[in-house]
Formats: sequence, structure tokens, C-alpha cells
Amino acid sequence: MKHVAEVEGQAETRIRMPTRRALAKQQTRAKVLAAARELFGAQGYEGATIRDIAAAAGMSTGAVFANFADKSELFREIMASDIEAVLTAMTEAATRGRTVDDALLKAFSAGYAFYRGQMPLVRAALGLSWSCEDGQALRALPAMQDTIDLFAQQLALGVERGELSQECEIKLRSQMLFDNYLANYPQAVFGGWSLEALQARSRDQIRVILAGARRG
Amino acid sequence: MAASKGQMTSPKGKWLATGGHAGSPVGGTHDRTRRQSALGGKLNLRQTQKEATRRRVLDAARDLFETVGYEETTVREIATRAGVAVGSVFTCFASKAEVLSQVMLDRLDDLYAELDLITPHLRGTVVDRLSSIFALHYAFETRRTPLFLAHIAAAYNWRPGSDSVPYGRNPRLRGMIHDCIADGRGRGEVSDEADISLIVDTLMAAYAWNYRLAAWEQAGPDRLSAIMEQQIALVAQGFTPAAAAA
Repeated sequence: MKHVAEVEGQAETRIRMPTRRALAKQQTRAKVLAAARELFGAQGYEGATIRDIAAAAGMSTGAVFANFADKSELFREIMASDIEAVLTAMTEAATRGRTVDDALLKAFSAGYAFYRGQMPLVRAALGLSWSCEDGQALRALPAMQDTIDLFAQQLALGVERGELSQECEIKLRSQMLFDNYLANYPQAVFGGWSLEALQARSRDQIRVILAGARRG
Repeated sequence: MAASKGQMTSPKGKWLATGGHAGSPVGGTHDRTRRQSALGGKLNLRQTQKEATRRRVLDAARDLFETVGYEETTVREIATRAGVAVGSVFTCFASKAEVLSQVMLDRLDDLYAELDLITPHLRGTVVDRLSSIFALHYAFETRRTPLFLAHIAAAYNWRPGSDSVPYGRNPRLRGMIHDCIADGRGRGEVSDEADISLIVDTLMAAYAWNYRLAAWEQAGPDRLSAIMEQQIALVAQGFTPAAAAA
């Protein structure tokens, strides 16, 4: 989150020198987002009210509503920047993999490492993702599909390198990898699983999902 | 596959028949009466009353959730319909989410009573049988998709120590899938090296997350089951013994 705000700031200054007013507005937004992230993390989505968020940011509820339509927009904005950043980390990690298994495992691990220590926020996001409207919004985030595409690219590279067979049903398999990647989060949220435990589980899951693809 | 589809039709039809009386599934009521009388013998008056209150709250909540919706129903309305005080609801349940969790668990009793009868008669390959078990689950849960999705979302508010269960933990289904694959190994369809409990985990993850398609794309039971069958077949490629695959 921190670095996203920075990147935005840099881009703004370079492209079209913002007015002092625009800068102040940006600072307000950043302050609200930081406070909201903290409260969603501590109290979950339902538990955090706009009033609490405003108080934590040191401003009136009116000032919050001047920047965000409602609580779900606030949450979406936090999720959007997180998912974007986690995808970058996962993509970078995958390039360091030597085999298809290794690349996928590194990508999974980068995702889990990103959210370490933020399980209440993950819990809130998972809950929300099942609701019809907010779930649609989360799903519509390009980075969601991009994550599945990242798995698909790694499978395609595996085919190129001759590790996987030509008919390995990349689309279905990358979807299953994504299902399993997500399904481990509740283990961390409710079971308190460590990063190492998540990695061990992921390694096994990847093996099971790829097993059939190795037969040429 | 044709064989197992045939197997499925009759139990599915049976549920749809009982499902007509959404409020009072025959098996459920019977079960409940039995449970209550069994409890009545051992418990003191206060415990019996508390159990009766709990029962009334659950019945009222189930009716309201199904007709009005989960979000739209307040604890006050549940209390009014059950004819108890709001405070009594909270002596039995910590939150509305916990009431929903229990309502959904109770509903599953009906599903598993049916499945216990059906599973011994499943035929076909291990893929066919697994597909049937998952298809029956999808058919059951999509009868009340909005309520089922509300229950998944609410399960993420789970706190340690509460009575509700986080989404994705379903020991009965897990056990059933495990047995089905172990039986397949007995018939030589599953290689000896395959790690069955790991395969179960992988399938359970796919099963649970496929419901996203119901939430986001209004997918019905047929589509969910078709996707699940592809996923099962894909995992099966990995555990089929080399000799059987060739």
C-alpha cells in the first residue's frame, strides 16, 4: 500500500504538476485508506464503520464521504492495490523457478508471504468475495484474471521445456491451481498455518494437479 | 458415465419431492422429535427449555432466511417469530451468523441421510462415482443458492470457540470422497503411490471454490457438476496406474 501511494505521487508530479488542492485531496485519500486498512484488518469488514475510520484518520465522516462513495468502495480500493502488488511479486517470483513445479510454488509462496500478518484483512476479503455485488467487483479486478493467466503461462513454459505434455489442458489446470492457491488462505486465517506449512501444502497440491500432465 | 447418471436421477427426484415442503423436510422433523425425546429423559427442566428455545429459534430462522433472505432478516424478527425474547436468542447463539451456520448444518442431515442410502449403489469408475457424489451436493446446495452463499460469506466471520464452522470444512463429504478413492484402489483404479488424503484436499478445494461460479455467474447445478467432473478426470489422470491408463 505504501509504495503504491508513492508511485502514484511520482507519476502525478512528472506528468501534470498537481495544484496544491489536488495534492491535499490526495493526502486525505491516502490518510483515509491507511486508517481503513488498519480498521478492516483489526475488526473485519462488517465491524469497521465509516465513523471509526474517519475518527482514526482524524477527520469528519463528511470528509471521508467526499472522497469515497461508501465503505465498499474504500475496501475495493485497498484490495485493488493489494492484488496488483501481490501479482507483481508472484510474477517476479515465478521467473526465478527452474522447473514448472518450482515456478508455481515460488509464485504461491510470494502470494502467501505478501499477506503474512494481514490475515484479518484476507478474512474480510474472502467473506466479501462470496457476496453477489462485492464479489463481482473483486472478480472484475484485472489482476484476478491475470493471476490465473500467470499460472497458465508457467504451464505453457513447462510444455515448451518438455516437462508437460502438449495436451495438458492448460486452462482447466491453471483454474484448479488458482482454486487451490485460494483454498489455502482459510488454513492460514483459521488454522494459523505458518508460511512453511502453506508452502509444504502447496508443493503437494501442485504435484497432484500436474501429475496427469507429465504423462506424454 | 451413463450408468452413474442413471443412478443419480432417482435420488435427485426424491429430494425434489421432499424439497417442496421447504419448511418441514420429513426426515428433519422426525429426527428432531427423536433428538428431543432422547434429551428429555436426561436433562433437567431448564436444559429442556433451553433446547426447546433453541429449536424454536432455528425453525423460525430457517423459515425467515428462506423466504425473506439472510441479510434482510433481523435477530428481533427471528425472536418474534419464534415467540421468544431477543435475549433468549443470544443465550443460545452468539450472532445471527451462528444461527445461519446451525441452520445450514441441520439441513445437511437430510442430504447425508439420502447419501448414506445411495453411495453403496454407485457404479462405474472412480471418476464416475466421485462425479456423482459431488453432483448430488451441487444439486442440493443450489436449491437455495442465495442462502448457501450467505452462509459461506458469514463463515468468514468465524471466531475460534464459536459453534459455527469455517467454510470448506465438511468432514462428512471428505470422508465419503476418501472412501470412494480408497475403494477405487481396491479395484485397481488408483495407483499405490497416490496420496489419497492429498487428492481429497485438492478435490475439496476445487469443489468449494466452484461455488464462485454460482455467486458470480449464476451457474446452476449442471454447470457446476460438469466442471467438477472435468476437474476430477484431470486429477485422475495423475493417480490412474500406468497399466490401467494404457
